[in-house]
Amino acid sequence: MSITVVSPGLQTTLQSGPRIGKRHLGVPANGAADPLSLAMANKLVSNAWDATAIEATLLGPTLRFDSDCAFAVAGARARLTLSGQVQPPHTTLFARAGEELVIGGLEIGARTYIAVAGGLDADKVLGSTSTNLQAGFGGFHGRALQANDVLKFTAAEANRLRTPKRFRPEMTASWAVHACKSVETELLDVDSLMNLFDGNWTVCRRADRMGLRLEGPTLSIDSEGRMPSAGVIPGTIQCPEDGAPYVLAADAGTVGGYPRVAQVARADRHVLGQLRPGDRLRLLRREPDEAVAVLRAKIDYWQEWLPDIAAILS
Amino acid sequence: MESKYVLTRSGDDLFSVAVDSPADAQALAARLREAADWVEVIPGIASVVLRFDAASQSSDAMQHTLEDVMASDVPALPISDRLVEIPVVYGGRYGPDLDAVSHAIGLSPEEIIAAHAAGEYTVDMLGFTPGFAFIGGLDDRFRIPRRQEPRQRVAAGSVGIADGRTGLYAMASPGGWNIIGRTSYPLFKPDDEDPFVLSAGMRVRFKAVAAEEFGE
Repeated sequence: MSITVVSPGLQTTLQSGPRIGKRHLGVPANGAADPLSLAMANKLVSNAWDATAIEATLLGPTLRFDSDCAFAVAGARARLTLSGQVQPPHTTLFARAGEELVIGGLEIGARTYIAVAGGLDADKVLGSTSTNLQAGFGGFHGRALQANDVLKFTAAEANRLRTPKRFRPEMTASWAVHACKSVETELLDVDSLMNLFDGNWTVCRRADRMGLRLEGPTLSIDSEGRMPSAGVIPGTIQCPEDGAPYVLAADAGTVGGYPRVAQVARADRHVLGQLRPGDRLRLLRREPDEAVAVLRAKIDYWQEWLPDIAAILS
Repeated sequence: MESKYVLTRSGDDLFSVAVDSPADAQALAARLREAADWVEVIPGIASVVLRFDAASQSSDAMQHTLEDVMASDVPALPISDRLVEIPVVYGGRYGPDLDAVSHAIGLSPEEIIAAHAAGEYTVDMLGFTPGFAFIGGLDDRFRIPRRQEPRQRVAAGSVGIADGRTGLYAMASPGGWNIIGRTSYPLFKPDDEDPFVLSAGMRVRFKAVAAEEFGE
């Protein structure tokens, strides 16, 4: 069974769950930038939440199904057509051999996920099939998909499902995420600390799977730039000497040399995968234990639809 | 509780412990791995960052474990008796920054190669990109910051210097170190249980070789 890439879109990769527990070896998380949407798509085709699926960025791919299969699309809002017929997201869909799925420009949100019943075959390296674009391993030969690539899979049965409205993650151009102080937050002066957590930030053009640069009030930081390399994770917000915060994302290196001024709470890290250039972002300051409470509430809420939600929000 | 370490909570699921040296970071990290089930234990140059599972573990319990270890005697890790010799082709297309480094620190390329290949070094840590090795003990004359403009892609095997260390790229990645050479020594073996050949604490020497030995 296979799917042929007719046109790849802007940056389309195979992703599954993150690489965990290997940051001391320099191995970054990788994995779906928005694991909640990945899990949604997989749920609709009766896959494990982290079965290997297609992650499309800003401009979706055109795919030709070479065999009958069940598939589903979830994530950023986009128009999708199968053989020219508009199809709904968040719904189990069935394709016949030869049919073409076209996903156009993503309208709201940055990434959408296409899951196929049975999950796609992919290179498993360092514990995950997720693509690592920087070093070039995992996924489909360690790279973004190109025209004429053939994605193999073993078809499986899927029950017809629709994500209930209340469980569909909301897409917007104006986001808010919970965040806490980090190790070097004290290097910010009083005004900068206020601006960081109360300011309105805009996501810059430099926004990718490595990280997102934010534009807004310039932060004034008492540092000479680089510090001894220290551990960072997705959601760590660094402040280089130019004062423009940089939010680390799924593919970020495991250590960094810039002051860490904030940390996006675990509950909301999946949101970072949906931020697109021009989107607005606010950081809602919480104490660490308040952020844990947000996480537990989110887990309670989603549990009914996604029993693995604690692992999904990892 | 008296402790020689400084503990900071960061975010909802991270702690950071400041330490004096990369060796202290590795020793503390090893003890902390034994003491609790962490999601990540990330030793740095002067810190250990710990991530716990905030969904299932209590931050208070994890902090107590951490403080207990910090208050105890943390034994230094034994010095590795393994010495790895890494053949390096210096300069030319394999070491595109050698001339710039020469200009910046006032040593000739030949002097740089001789000095770099004369030292015996210790791997301080892995980190940044998969298997990337921070190797300490560089000759003081090599003080040079990273490149102003990082490269989008640095080839696997590249040998860079910056901030008093040698950095070894186990895999291709973006990077800002000053690249003075490249090795063909296999640093990443994806099918091995321990896929990275170098590890923290390992002793390393570099040997200057001709480009022909590179197998090209």
